[in-house]
Amino acid sequence: MATVADQGMHMVEFKDVYFEYGTHAAGQPSTPAVNGITESIREGEFVVVLGRNGSGKSTMARLMNALLLPTGGTVWVDGMNTAEGDKIWEIRRTLGMVFQNPDNQLVATTVEEDLAFGPENLGLDPSEIRRRIDAAARYVGMEEHMKHSPHMLSGGQKQRVAIAGILAMEPKCIVLDESTSMLDPRGRKEVIDLIRTLNREKGITIILITHHMEEAVHADRVLVMDRGRIAMQGTPREIFSRVDELKKLGLSVPQVTQLMHELKAKGLVQAGTALTLEEAEESLKAVLKKSGFHHPALQEPAVAKEPAEVIVSIRDLSHTYMPGTTFERKALQEVSLDIMKGEILGIIGHTGSGKSTLVQHLNGLLKPTSGSVTVDGLECGGKSLKELRQKVGLIFQYPEHQLFEETVYKDIIFGLSRLGLPQDEIERRVKCVLDIIGLSEELLWKSPFELSGGQKRRVAIAGVLVMEPEILVLDEPTAGLDPRGSEEVFAILTELNRTQGTTILIISHSMEQIAAYCDRIAVLNRGRLEMLDTPRKVFSQEDRLRSLGLDIPEITRLFRNLHRAGYPVNGHVLTISEAVRSISETMLAKETHKGGNNA
Amino acid sequence: MIGNITLGQYIPGESVLHRLDPRSKIIWTALLMVAVFIINTWQEYVMMGAFVAILLVISGIPIKQSLKGIKPLMLILAITAILNIFFVQGTPLVKIGPVVISYEGLLSAIMLFFRLVMLVIVASLMTLTTTPMAMTDGIERMMKPLERVGVPAHEIAMMMSIALRFIPTLMEETERIMKAQASRGADFDTGNILKRIKSFIPVLVPLFVSAFKRADELAEAMEARCYCGSKGRTRLKQIRFTRLDLVASLAGILFLLILFGTRFLMISH
Repeated sequence: MATVADQGMHMVEFKDVYFEYGTHAAGQPSTPAVNGITESIREGEFVVVLGRNGSGKSTMARLMNALLLPTGGTVWVDGMNTAEGDKIWEIRRTLGMVFQNPDNQLVATTVEEDLAFGPENLGLDPSEIRRRIDAAARYVGMEEHMKHSPHMLSGGQKQRVAIAGILAMEPKCIVLDESTSMLDPRGRKEVIDLIRTLNREKGITIILITHHMEEAVHADRVLVMDRGRIAMQGTPREIFSRVDELKKLGLSVPQVTQLMHELKAKGLVQAGTALTLEEAEESLKAVLKKSGFHHPALQEPAVAKEPAEVIVSIRDLSHTYMPGTTFERKALQEVSLDIMKGEILGIIGHTGSGKSTLVQHLNGLLKPTSGSVTVDGLECGGKSLKELRQKVGLIFQYPEHQLFEETVYKDIIFGLSRLGLPQDEIERRVKCVLDIIGLSEELLWKSPFELSGGQKRRVAIAGVLVMEPEILVLDEPTAGLDPRGSEEVFAILTELNRTQGTTILIISHSMEQIAAYCDRIAVLNRGRLEMLDTPRKVFSQEDRLRSLGLDIPEITRLFRNLHRAGYPVNGHVLTISEAVRSISETMLAKETHKGGNNA
Repeated sequence: MIGNITLGQYIPGESVLHRLDPRSKIIWTALLMVAVFIINTWQEYVMMGAFVAILLVISGIPIKQSLKGIKPLMLILAITAILNIFFVQGTPLVKIGPVVISYEGLLSAIMLFFRLVMLVIVASLMTLTTTPMAMTDGIERMMKPLERVGVPAHEIAMMMSIALRFIPTLMEETERIMKAQASRGADFDTGNILKRIKSFIPVLVPLFVSAFKRADELAEAMEARCYCGSKGRTRLKQIRFTRLDLVASLAGILFLLILFGTRFLMISH
């Protein structure tokens, strides 16, 4: 038994905790979701829990507020044992929980009523409830939306409402279970800023579960989970200095950390781990003395692709939703754009800029209000819908939510079987697609609902790939995946593009991905095409992107800053490998320069 | 898109009607609807019309808004009115071949039309001035006495409000799934009825899977926020039968007395 004094210091304490879900797929060895955790979280601490999908993070969170009870060991919350049934409501009042999907945790039809839900359950006086929800709404900056319906809010706003709903219960600790994973960058920033303030100003203990490595940088402590255990723990600096171990666990590190790590491995810098852009900038400034040396501009990779042929031609495309009603909304306005055969085109723009509306014209899901879209000679919105949808494969966000057949095989051939192809051709294509997405043939006879999240995503993508589309359009293909899952998806896409010449359009909020993989970028803002150029040219216009609510990759910003401050580096790098090359070239040049002087 | 439509069509306001206890509104809506069916002389029609007009003015809701509810009913209105015109027997007014339009027929068509319009306005006056939440609260409180005979009043009300909360979400989701399956080659528009019904399986399965997942997650989120049924639960908005409700109810009773009182006077004559 832990002593009272011991418990008083800890907000959450796990002692040798195991948890096993009752059911598992037949024939699979049962591994406990939580497999022996002993860990204490201090009052007022800001802890980030990292780990791949399925590493036991969410189970751990549910054990903390008695939504699950340990099958072995004990969990204490603020000195209360979660297994003691009469403490359960006190525990949940003390430790509030924010979930992943913003839609599935708001109960009421107005923000105000939703904030009141928790306090109402506590049986508080109406006047006290009113006082608390007003204070909570002000705190999260939602006081002007009190009468609004939750479904009218943005993702970030919904999560802020969810947090306020918990604040109104006056908790000592808040657990956020991947609460930022379904948000766009703006929403994510809103939530992270908010919880940091809560931690600092109100001393509320924060336990944040996430796949976004950069969110861990500000934590007091980071726990890394792997297969139900805590594989690593320490300050962000300690954790992020162990880059190779993190990689082995399928995780990544922030771009600047990765850069400094690689430079160190090459012996170019000696500095310690950099967590933020500022730190990396400082240590790079220390090694790169200012000099008059002019760095040669990075060469654009030699254009291997043939002078391209236009495959999609969009002319003066406008789209208005619900025209003539009070809900009329101009989603696209006079967009003209040519997409080249075989290119990877990134489409960026913040939520509501018209990205999804644009791509839904390509396979005729939407018809132009005015203007035209032509795909390989086919007029979109015309009669040849079936042919068009074979040419253009459109993969929506979270495509795994559309799986429905009894077996993976049936799901993959759902569209294909409607084309009237001979059986051996179907078999050939399925085999070929399995190769591309890297799934084994045994999986074909399983139910798609038995697969892991990353596998489901790949199966859903396979269902479109078997149609052998010439153009593949993906809306946020890596949303909700952990770093390794995301890499796998991009590996599939680049492979397709390289070997089959598939034209690929990617909508993404991740500027790092867009910078690394795209040939060109289209920037949308309020339904208009703002920019269309190579990543290097687009990301060199930081101020303009900022004004559109967009960002540039961290690594690009770092090198811009250095370049502007007069350091001899390339100001336009887009990826870590380019950055490493730029630095080593500079250092090399300096060496020879120095050598020349001495002679 | 679909998601932008506010359910329950509540229009925020501070009028007397907005401030009434939802229970009084529910009861009076029911009473007025019954009254609309009982009236049958033109004097009663005029009085009823005037009363509803006064309510409309008090509510401060634009007439256009309150008449919106009629639009979807237009077809039914038209059909019933036409049936009345042609099939009610009486003094012929116009004769076109075998078709006879009688004076009585025309009159009953007009009366019926008037009645239905009144019904729609009375009903929408309630939904336009009451939030869905207040409405379910009102229903819950009215059903409270039934709890003793085992009716789960609180649970029913909670289910209603959750349904209201999730209808727009699920509508958006349906649209999204349909588009995604269409992109995969699903075809919802061709073939016979059986084929079309079958073509909705790829929409319904994911929709149900997701709805169950949402239900699961919502239940978890509610539990995590200390929800354990109606026991020990208080409400932010107390619904109270206030003096305002008393005055309004008295006014209503007075109106009904005048409306139907004349009948008794006539009978006694």
